[in-house]
Amino acid sequence: MEFQDRRTIRLRVNGRDVERDVEARRLLADFLREDLGLVATRLGCEHGVCGACTVLVDGASVRSCLLLAVQADGAEVGTLEGLAEGGTMHPLQQAFWDHHALQCGFCTSGFLMTACDLLASNPDPGEDEIRHGLSGNLCRCTGYANIVDAVAAAAKAMR
Amino acid sequence: MSAGATAKILGARVRRVEDPRVLLGEARYVDDVPLRGVLSVAFLRSSYARARIASIDGSAARSMPGVTGVWTAEDLAGSLAPLRVEHAQAAGGGPFRTCEWPVLASGTVRFVGEAVAAVVADDRYLAEDAVERIDFDFDPLEAVADMEAALAPGAPLVHDEWGDNVFQRVAMSNGDVAGAFRGAAVVVAERFATGRHLALPIETRGCVASFERGSGELTFWSSTQMPHVLRSELSRALALPESRVRVIAPDVGGGFGLKAHVFPEEILVGWLALRLGRPVKWIEDRREHLAASMHAKHEIVRGELAAARDGTILAIRASILCDVGAYTEYPWPTFEPNVTAGAMTGPYRVPAFAYEATSIATNKASLGAYRGVGQPIGVLATERLIDLAAAKLGLDPADCRRRNMIRGDEHPYRTVLGTEIESGSHVECLDAALERIGYAGFRSEQAKAREAGRYVGIGIASYVEVTAPGSAVWQSMGPAVGGWESATVRLELDGNATVLLGVNSQGQGHATTFAQAAAETLGLRLADVRVVQGDTAITPRGWVAGGSRCAVACGGAVLSASGRLRDRLLAAASRLSELPTGALEIQGGIVRRAADGGEVVPVRELARAMALGRAGDDGPLEETARYEPPPLTHSNATHVVTVEVDVETGQVKCLRYVVAEDCGTMMNPLVVDGQIQGGVAQGIGAALYEELVYDENGQLLTGTLMDYLPPTSSDVPRVEIIHFETPSPYTLGGFKGMGEGGAIGPPGAIANAVADALAPFGARPTEIPLTPERVLALVDRARSMREGGE
Repeated sequence: MEFQDRRTIRLRVNGRDVERDVEARRLLADFLREDLGLVATRLGCEHGVCGACTVLVDGASVRSCLLLAVQADGAEVGTLEGLAEGGTMHPLQQAFWDHHALQCGFCTSGFLMTACDLLASNPDPGEDEIRHGLSGNLCRCTGYANIVDAVAAAAKAMR
Repeated sequence: MSAGATAKILGARVRRVEDPRVLLGEARYVDDVPLRGVLSVAFLRSSYARARIASIDGSAARSMPGVTGVWTAEDLAGSLAPLRVEHAQAAGGGPFRTCEWPVLASGTVRFVGEAVAAVVADDRYLAEDAVERIDFDFDPLEAVADMEAALAPGAPLVHDEWGDNVFQRVAMSNGDVAGAFRGAAVVVAERFATGRHLALPIETRGCVASFERGSGELTFWSSTQMPHVLRSELSRALALPESRVRVIAPDVGGGFGLKAHVFPEEILVGWLALRLGRPVKWIEDRREHLAASMHAKHEIVRGELAAARDGTILAIRASILCDVGAYTEYPWPTFEPNVTAGAMTGPYRVPAFAYEATSIATNKASLGAYRGVGQPIGVLATERLIDLAAAKLGLDPADCRRRNMIRGDEHPYRTVLGTEIESGSHVECLDAALERIGYAGFRSEQAKAREAGRYVGIGIASYVEVTAPGSAVWQSMGPAVGGWESATVRLELDGNATVLLGVNSQGQGHATTFAQAAAETLGLRLADVRVVQGDTAITPRGWVAGGSRCAVACGGAVLSASGRLRDRLLAAASRLSELPTGALEIQGGIVRRAADGGEVVPVRELARAMALGRAGDDGPLEETARYEPPPLTHSNATHVVTVEVDVETGQVKCLRYVVAEDCGTMMNPLVVDGQIQGGVAQGIGAALYEELVYDENGQLLTGTLMDYLPPTSSDVPRVEIIHFETPSPYTLGGFKGMGEGGAIGPPGAIANAVADALAPFGARPTEIPLTPERVLALVDRARSMREGGE
């Protein structure tokens, strides 16, 4: 079978070393969710538009439905499961709670990871910059305003 | 501390208790159900809108490694019947025609995306590989993709046995409509059309089924808005006793009506699990979702409004066509155009009203529920017609609305359709919204903008939101469902309470709002109440989280059950303390003397005493209540939006968006605000961006999210919200439903604002979404008409 080409990959996921044998065609999203059990990475469209599957690869937000697991070989990958330290929420998580920035929660992981990247590159964004920075993630419940507020509040808390 | 100083819990703006687990990555949706050895399903779907299936050969696919099997309609014959909605007579109309919706297409395919074959394999990759290897041969037939063409004599038939393409025709006339039109000072008429769109929850559809042969029990996880209804349907279709079917709706990633259906795919996945004796999973991909889930709100409304010289509405007349697609939603007939008609009289005194609503079959995906159902379209039509009439009469559009609105002292107001609007604040909402947006000063701003070459406009839409239908009303529309909900409130031995709901949440915040209702009634702290939902094995029977009914119907059940349990607690405390029940109250988990707040007994001690038979109460420590709401409960609102239209690019930008609304008593204003902001975002999508486009052969052209465009964070303004609270005099708690309202106003308000912005061109928007292409066409048409006229 042409698709059964397998590779061994080594990467760090949420600060832990991982070595796995994967099919070459396996999506990073499926690798994280099914092979590592990190199911907080959600799949909403599988064609790179909705942003629900956003994770950090070497600090940059990427769509894990558009990347193969083998492409993450050697990389540092961050998912929502690695965001809180112990039981203490990251300022972004806290701000999302305080500002009612989620309803069904399905897009939330992707928004949080995108916002991590956004605030890392711009610690003091204005509202327009936040809106622009989040415009690659779709939310169908909230109408975005509370997410924008939450990211602004988190930015303030993190400065 | 005096008891009276305790802050109210119900109605408080508290953060949601369900959020931390989501934020910490602990939410579990249907694709996350931890089962070992789960097989995956993938479907072969039709790429033709109408075709005869000449042959399907799954043998090559079946022989691939990791493939369990391939199933087609032939394999289901005699074992899995097609879905067929029961006949239901709609008020004022002929019966809804039924058709069979085969679980897998049999003989004929009727829309692009219809499931033709199912593959089961070890994982989704292998299942999709195998779908590619199925050999099939379809003979394409002429399709009918346009609803008006479908009505023409000789049109291709979607269901051959019918002889035409009409699901249902409903006609109603109340009051002297013809006389009103004859005597009117002004009559305005317009043809409105809405683009087909859909709910598009970020979590697609999906389900997992697991069958135990030893016990004969099916456990079925589904991303659904109605676990109890799904259970009944699985039981019926698979011939299993209901007692041996357990449906679990885990966290559900949005629904908005789309998941308030039972789908052929769900029935098939249950059947496969029974047949295979192994757990089976289907997670829809986004292409399937766009092509083959449930579309919505596809209508043409020809509306006419007759008014007197002073703007008083004399009558409204409407002819409504609705493109239902190939099959009716299941398990009830599609009643979308009837809802559109019902919304057209809005918050106004309309003495005469006639409509005809026609539901039409075409070779497209089926139409189902999506937030607001037909209401946004009825509101779009009426609100545009009022603006047109006001313009013709030289009246201010806001004044024209105010003149016609039902005043507070006219409630309960019986509409021309015979429904009673129990209470409301129509004029108050209109005035408050106008004041907030600065209506009085807007015209001078607009004039200045026009001088600078900028086209800005303001638009109003006022509406009454029909919520929480009672049993008789549901059944008069067709669905064989109840309007009631039930809830169980259980006291645990440590003084905590568990609330079990018949409905489940898709993000609306049930775990918080219903805990608030129970905590308030029982006198417990919010943290001491936990809500359990979405599991038919442990929750009391319920119907559906839809129709803006949860706050009213489920809220009433929770208040009722909690109230009965509180009364038992007070009676038990009275027996222990020898104080009269009237002298006792419960606050913060402690029974206290009402007079001075003195502690009598903590609820946890009382619970133990009752459980041990020492408090003269030998009943189980729980109460279950079923609450039937009034026939209909009405919220009301006015939306006002300002837009800027770029006449060179056709882009419409919403500048400010104000909602003044009244949903009676609010359970939690934070959640209400969130519902409004989110609903408005969806309404903006419908008004400006979202459209499922088919070509004349019934081919879907918007099959990905590169082509189908929901609004993003750059497109949706912050909604400025003003609340009025006019409690319902009839519902427990005074609640009115409000889940859909946010999405009902935007098409009308935005169309009016675009018309106002383009008034210098005399452009009249009649179709949504108002895409750049449509806006430019409007401007061009108006310009050329003007030049032609000069």
